[in-house]
Amino acid sequence: MAAVQPNPNFAKMISAQLRNKANHNNLADILEMFEAETDNYTPLLLTVEVIFTKLLRRGELLEGIVPLKPADNSPEAQYKRWLRECFEAAQTRILECIRRGRMSSRLQALVTACKLMQAEGKHPLEGSSGFYFPSVRLKNIFNVLLDPEISMSAPIARFQEFTEYKDVQQYGLKVLSTIAYRKSPTSVYMQNYLELLDKLLVCEIPTETKIKGKERDDEEKEEKLLCGTEDKAPFPYNPGVCRRYANRCWGFACQWPLCHDSRTHRRALLLLVERLMPLLNRPHLATDMLCDSLDAGGPISMLALQGVLELVRRHNIDYPDMYDRLYAMFEPEMFATRYKRRLMHLADIFLSSTHLPESLVAAFAKRLSRLALVASPEDAVGLLQLVANLLLRHPALKRMICYEDTPAIMSNDPYVMEETCARSSRALGSSLWEVWALRADRAAPLALTAPDLAASFDAELKKRFKTIEMNFVRPQGMTTPSGERVMQYWELMA
Amino acid sequence: MAKVKNKRNSGLADKVHNKKKSEINKKKLNPFEVHINREKLKVLGKKSKHDRGLPGVSRAKAIQKRKETLGTEMKLMNKTNAFIDRRIGEKSTQLSAEERMVARFAAERVKQHNKKNIYNLADDEVLTHRGQTLEQIEKFDDPRSDDEEDEDGRKFGGLGDEFVADGHFGGGMLSKTDSKDGAKSHKDLIEQLIAESKKRKAEKQKEKEQTLDLTEKLDSEWKDLQPVVFKKMRTEESAIEKLLSQAEKKNMDYDKMMRELKFEKRGTPSDGLKNDEKQAKEERARLEQLEKERELRMMGEEEQIAVKSKQAKVKHRSAEDLDDNFELDDEHDFMLAYDKDGKPLVPEKVLKDFSVPNAKPKFDDGISDTSDEEDEGNDESDDEVNQDQSQNDNESDASNKSEESNKKSKSKDKNNVKLVSNKNDESAEDDDDESSDDDSTDIKPEVKSKAKEKPKENGKKVEEKKAKKTEEDTILFQNSKEDSSDDDEEGSDEESEEDDEEEEEGSEIDLNNLNDLKESDAESDEEQEPEDVEKIGSFFDVDDGEGDKLKELLTGKTPAQQSSALQNLIKSYDPSLSEKNKDKLTKLFAYMLQYINDLFSDLKEESDVIKAFLVFDRLAPYFYDLSQTNKVSSKKYIAELLKEKYGQYKKRQKRVPDMDTLIFFKLISLLYPTSDFRHPITTPSMIFMTEILTTCRFNDAYSISRGLFVTTLLLEYTILSKRLVPSAINFLRGILYLSANVTVLNPIQVVPPFRLHKDSKILNLEEDCSKMDVEGKMAARDFTLTEINNDFKIRCFSTSMGILKEFFDYFNDIEAQVYLFEPHLKLVGRIDLDLYPAKVANRANQIVKYMRAGLEVKTFTPLTREKKRPKALRLYEPDIQEVFTGSKSAKLSREQAESQRLKTKYKKEMKGALREIRRDKSYIGSVKIRQKIHSDNIRKEKVKQIYKEASVQQGELNKLKRMK
Repeated sequence: MAAVQPNPNFAKMISAQLRNKANHNNLADILEMFEAETDNYTPLLLTVEVIFTKLLRRGELLEGIVPLKPADNSPEAQYKRWLRECFEAAQTRILECIRRGRMSSRLQALVTACKLMQAEGKHPLEGSSGFYFPSVRLKNIFNVLLDPEISMSAPIARFQEFTEYKDVQQYGLKVLSTIAYRKSPTSVYMQNYLELLDKLLVCEIPTETKIKGKERDDEEKEEKLLCGTEDKAPFPYNPGVCRRYANRCWGFACQWPLCHDSRTHRRALLLLVERLMPLLNRPHLATDMLCDSLDAGGPISMLALQGVLELVRRHNIDYPDMYDRLYAMFEPEMFATRYKRRLMHLADIFLSSTHLPESLVAAFAKRLSRLALVASPEDAVGLLQLVANLLLRHPALKRMICYEDTPAIMSNDPYVMEETCARSSRALGSSLWEVWALRADRAAPLALTAPDLAASFDAELKKRFKTIEMNFVRPQGMTTPSGERVMQYWELMA
Repeated sequence: MAKVKNKRNSGLADKVHNKKKSEINKKKLNPFEVHINREKLKVLGKKSKHDRGLPGVSRAKAIQKRKETLGTEMKLMNKTNAFIDRRIGEKSTQLSAEERMVARFAAERVKQHNKKNIYNLADDEVLTHRGQTLEQIEKFDDPRSDDEEDEDGRKFGGLGDEFVADGHFGGGMLSKTDSKDGAKSHKDLIEQLIAESKKRKAEKQKEKEQTLDLTEKLDSEWKDLQPVVFKKMRTEESAIEKLLSQAEKKNMDYDKMMRELKFEKRGTPSDGLKNDEKQAKEERARLEQLEKERELRMMGEEEQIAVKSKQAKVKHRSAEDLDDNFELDDEHDFMLAYDKDGKPLVPEKVLKDFSVPNAKPKFDDGISDTSDEEDEGNDESDDEVNQDQSQNDNESDASNKSEESNKKSKSKDKNNVKLVSNKNDESAEDDDDESSDDDSTDIKPEVKSKAKEKPKENGKKVEEKKAKKTEEDTILFQNSKEDSSDDDEEGSDEESEEDDEEEEEGSEIDLNNLNDLKESDAESDEEQEPEDVEKIGSFFDVDDGEGDKLKELLTGKTPAQQSSALQNLIKSYDPSLSEKNKDKLTKLFAYMLQYINDLFSDLKEESDVIKAFLVFDRLAPYFYDLSQTNKVSSKKYIAELLKEKYGQYKKRQKRVPDMDTLIFFKLISLLYPTSDFRHPITTPSMIFMTEILTTCRFNDAYSISRGLFVTTLLLEYTILSKRLVPSAINFLRGILYLSANVTVLNPIQVVPPFRLHKDSKILNLEEDCSKMDVEGKMAARDFTLTEINNDFKIRCFSTSMGILKEFFDYFNDIEAQVYLFEPHLKLVGRIDLDLYPAKVANRANQIVKYMRAGLEVKTFTPLTREKKRPKALRLYEPDIQEVFTGSKSAKLSREQAESQRLKTKYKKEMKGALREIRRDKSYIGSVKIRQKIHSDNIRKEKVKQIYKEASVQQGELNKLKRMK
């Protein structure tokens, strides 16, 4: 209620504050109101944002510090000093708001803080001609975001819109590397930290400086700067510096016990695999962690797999029983994880080598198709596509779908599903009966013929049919004339 | 006199006739006129027209022809007058002589019908046949009178030859005196003549009388003898005649068929009224056809394409194919073999494709079709059965009668009402009535007529209702009230009687499932409420709020009442009554969907669930009817509904949708074929269901009961197509997992959405329930269950085992069956079956044993490509032309051949024409020269004459000179 009612007042107060210095008590009142409010700070935040942005733009906060001159005590100067105090106070209030209240107001607080930071960057408190970035403000924000108790994933996610600015990215990494050092952080803190780092690295940092050289010109135009103004010197963006800071950030994080909590572990791995790997100076150092993660099983190993793949492909690391591990990952449980698509994609890359032994590939094909039998339609489609790729890349596997010699009837499947070693599962002697069985499924064959329509509900509804076939026997009651089963198993009407 | 004349005429006509005939026959060839044309090449079996010719004759003919044509033309040349022959039909050769006569006669008749003769009603014309008038012919004279004529020995009044010779001719004095001395005088002669003639007359008279007597005697004797003789002759004849008639019959058949072939059908007879049997047969055939179509749709496009491609393969043509006269062996060859009956062993379809000449057309003309005969046989047998049945009916009726007889006394109108009250029985009972009219004719006819009247009235009312709503409403209201009051009066004894009857009929006619319906109808008719009618009448009057109205109409009633109300509603808006009704009915469909949705949402009590299902059970057929009236829009509505429900479900994916969603899956399975490979409604709904089973969390009674319901529905959907639905099988695995005894130490593989060690064992039976009496079926109360009790656990287990077995049977011939069902078996192994009631445990054990056995005998044949048949070598075969012309033009293309043909024809014609012209010219020349010669001759003659006269003159002159 309180939030709705004073809205017009705020508008008035803003205009009054901006028009007349005499009305400056309004500002104090507004700041006071932060105390009263508990839940929704949004209007207050917006008011503060508007006021201070205007003030900054007008330069009313600008204090000309003339060296060797006593502080000016004129009412003007006093007013300015008071305003600056208010500004600082407002900043702290806003930062507090990030932690409190309802989610929307928290997000608004973050945005306000950033906006003010932007305004300050554009119109610095001290007169300067060069590029100025209020890194202190950023540091404050980060300090709030890296809360050891509360998960800040929502504000951090919101913060992503600012990390797209190159200057924020660079200064952010710098600031983060300075505040990161901590001995034994809580898991929440670690998560917040990892998330923040992740968000800071959303914008890809160019790794190859040589390639960069050519494209520098056109890219510089597109560069987004948060605090840049046209009359000032351009921001010296340096990818190398960014990478160094990122390395340093990761260096701190490495020392933490990341692998204890599975969520943190996952997050760390995701960060490492998705963002950091190309940036790291010495990725080998991550090998141990990746290997441990790979053994952990479940989604963690799936994530680690990508890192390992990267290491194997780019950094010449030889990993023993790589394929057996991959093989072991294909379990029914994989369908429940979020990373099943990633796993399938990775498996596709792994198995794209034509130098793999046939028995191994056959075992994969067999296992994948076996899994497809229990998978949901869309997963089954993915798996079958993978199997199809295998069959295409390894012509020897053709015998699994069309046996050349006269087939001898076997009493059981030679393939051993339980075998952990892919090569000794004797899959080559088997056939892909599972795929044959899936032919009878409704969704799978449809999806294979038209993968983009992947048998989804909506696509099916949109499809046009020439005729609408109806049952030709009129039902007498709710029993289907052609084979009633519901009434057979359910006693619904008694 | 006239008679004689006629006779002569008739003789003439005959003679002329005969002469013509003989002339035709006479055409004998003069051997000297024949010219034999020399044959250059002798071809066996060839019949040549031109092997011999008659040059003289043909030339004469040609000349004659020219004379008639060119000659006349020449004669008429340069002449202004023309001679026209106006005799009717004289020139046209098409008319025969007789026709010509007829035409002329007709013209004559027409001429007579001028104004003057209008009132002369055909007195003056005399119809003749061979010169005799019809009256004459038809004079049935006594045959005896003809005797006189036949005695034509003497022509001249019966006088002797001698006498005539003497008396008439040669009676000269000389001869007389020579031959007969002392001859009689002339007077004697005359007297002798008179006496002789008198005597003969008398003799004749006597003879005549004698013959008459004799004939009469003979006649009378014959009459006596007739019965004896005739009979014998008859019998003799009959034996022969039989044979003859048989032969004739055959001939008749032949003739008949020939005529059939010869003459076109004049008109098609309209379809006769079909009897029940025929209708049933047609219905069956229709259903079979539809079933076949359904099966075709069941196959995927792929398979359909495969089937099609097999049928139509591109004919291979080698690059070196020279189009020479060899036909390559057909791509698809097959062995044509026949069975004992001479029918080809190859399927009919194939035969049709290859157009084998011997192949019997399927339904040709009813001659070669053997099936007809069989059918007839069937019909006969059916008839017999019917007769038997009717006899049975009679018997039963008789027994009924005995029952009824004591109640007859009550009143007539009671019977009356009874018949009205169960209209469904009407037809059956009508039949009965007809067959057993004899014993109760006094009551039944009345009853029947009344019974027939009633429905008519009702129908009328429905029609008129549109026009005069309010009035008719009241009438209908009264009517229904009457019905109900009547029924009420009669009370229970009535009903018991009805029941008896129904039972009997049910056993006889084998319409068991209709019984329910009947009862419901009877009920509903009794208790039709008056307000309904008003509501129905104004149902679509106001634009909006029909949905509410429907709800209003249906709420607070028993299912049967709802059904009848709806029936009335649909009936009163039958599309045949008004154009707009179709739209209205489609709207009604939507409202009914909404109603069902409302009905099934927020079911808290078991009784609510049961009631909802009961209502649904009653309303489902109407959904079918309505969707049939407008397929497109009903499909649209259902699709929209599904979309909406899917949207709701997507918002909370982990939660199983409630009954207000699931019931529509059931409805869809009632309306649409679930076995289609792809269907606009059933495919999305199946996807929806599989998604429910893959994404939702099943951890309480709510979700598990609904999950099982969905699984059962999926089973129902795939019952015909035997399609693999992994999620359903997986769900059963999950249920078994939930009821299995799983420990952390002894984990077992589970498939999402079921999770290892999470909410496991919630269905696990922990207490010993072997004494519990639990029915195997899931029940309506399970939908409202909040806590899982033992009863629920047991029923879940037994139901899922049952469903599992059915799914298992789908894949008996697929190798992957092992992979699909082995986990289930393992899980069942973990379940402590001893705790379950003995019945359930036994059943489960049986199923497990069955599945184990099935899996053990499973053999694995490696997948192979379909074996291709080795192709036979291509062989050259003679190109057989259906019509062999022997001409070289056979090779040419059609147009070329045509132009070639025309060219030759032109050449021939040209030649012929030139020759004709030449001959004409020569003819003209000959005619001219003849004329010239003729005129020359005349001139010469004249000159000679002149010379002659001149010389005579000269001579006379000279004579005169000399005389001088």
